[in-house]
Amino acid sequence: MEETKQTNQYLIPAAILIAGAFVAAALYFSSSTSVPVAIDAGNNQPAVAQQPEPTGSTDSVRPVTSEDHIKGSLDAPIKIVEYSDFECPFCKRFHDTMNEVMDKYGDSGEVAWVFRQFPLEQLHPVKAQAVAVASECAAEQGGNDTFWKFTDGYFDVTLTNNRTDIETVIPQLVKEAGLDQAAFQTCFESGKYDDHIAADIANAVETGGRGTPWSVMIGPDGTTYPINGAQPLAAVEQLISIAQKN
Amino acid sequence: MQYIGTLIKVLRNPYYSLLAALIAGFIFSMAVWLPSFQLIWIVSQTASLSESLSLLWSLYGAIGSNFSLVSAIYTILIAILFGMNIALLTYYIRKMRGGASGLRGTGLSSIGGLVSGVFGIGCAACGTFIFTSVLTLFGVGGILAYLPFGGEEFGFLGVGLLLYSLYTLTKKITDPLVCPI
Repeated sequence: MEETKQTNQYLIPAAILIAGAFVAAALYFSSSTSVPVAIDAGNNQPAVAQQPEPTGSTDSVRPVTSEDHIKGSLDAPIKIVEYSDFECPFCKRFHDTMNEVMDKYGDSGEVAWVFRQFPLEQLHPVKAQAVAVASECAAEQGGNDTFWKFTDGYFDVTLTNNRTDIETVIPQLVKEAGLDQAAFQTCFESGKYDDHIAADIANAVETGGRGTPWSVMIGPDGTTYPINGAQPLAAVEQLISIAQKN
Repeated sequence: MQYIGTLIKVLRNPYYSLLAALIAGFIFSMAVWLPSFQLIWIVSQTASLSESLSLLWSLYGAIGSNFSLVSAIYTILIAILFGMNIALLTYYIRKMRGGASGLRGTGLSSIGGLVSGVFGIGCAACGTFIFTSVLTLFGVGGILAYLPFGGEEFGFLGVGLLLYSLYTLTKKITDPLVCPI
């Protein structure tokens, strides 16, 4: 009987310790560098197989250049590099959030938004990669503004989670952007942007991205801050405020 | 109905309601801050305390932006139910009633519910939730494609286990002490 009472006394602390251990394990797993399996739509090979081992450091973010898709000024002291998947519902939400951020900080040149590709082929097979290619082809033909017009337009209409009828939506967006449809189709089917997209995915993984949306904010002093998922506008604004002071 | 009355009676005591609220708040905070743990760590190293606290506060908005409606609901439920479970367990033990074996089963249900819920936390659709990380760690990430709710099953399971645990606890508190035949 005495032993039973002793067991009872230790049960709560033990339960709390076990729960704490699991939460700690969850924290560990959430900040570890396990990699989502992405398949290259062009050759059906796992894209991650050709990627470097992830270091999980946001400092590995590829430098922003004029080759990137940028909303805002390339010289902005704060840059938010987003790795996004066109069929991810949370990327759609974060796209709206980032547009709000740019409405507030873009015109003054305080913040620039860089869009990089991170299609999760395992979760959104074929379509995520296809739309990523389409956005690159739109940019090739129409430049940076056309890329953003295509991207904003796609996120406006996508049903997400591979439910979007891309056979209808992509040609519609191409038409609205005033692009040469034949030239677009040639680019779209060429596979010429597969390597570029694979490089973006590799860089996302290198910086610690395990899902989408994954973003790295680069502060004026070069400090990098990870933004995991579709964090709310208030959090992004608070982070901008912190980065500005450093 | 009788068991609900017991639950209300225990939680009317400020000590147990405060304990339940603190535990629920802790679990909810962990769930919301989990994807931003690395960010919080970096900010805490460079920013002032007030700025860090402001960031933590602003991250609570992630329950609306970084969770699906379903996962937001079960995350909140898991936090509340786990808090209530701990409060009831504490009440039960302080009253020194019942045998260890029954309690052990109830405790396991609570922990199982929390663990299961933790695995369900995050963006199941985009591969950022805990279960994806665990699966990919073992090289079986593809199993997610075969789960009808993409891993959110663990959140539902967590709620179920915690409800079961709550039921058995209130039953033990309510039932009169008798010597079994």
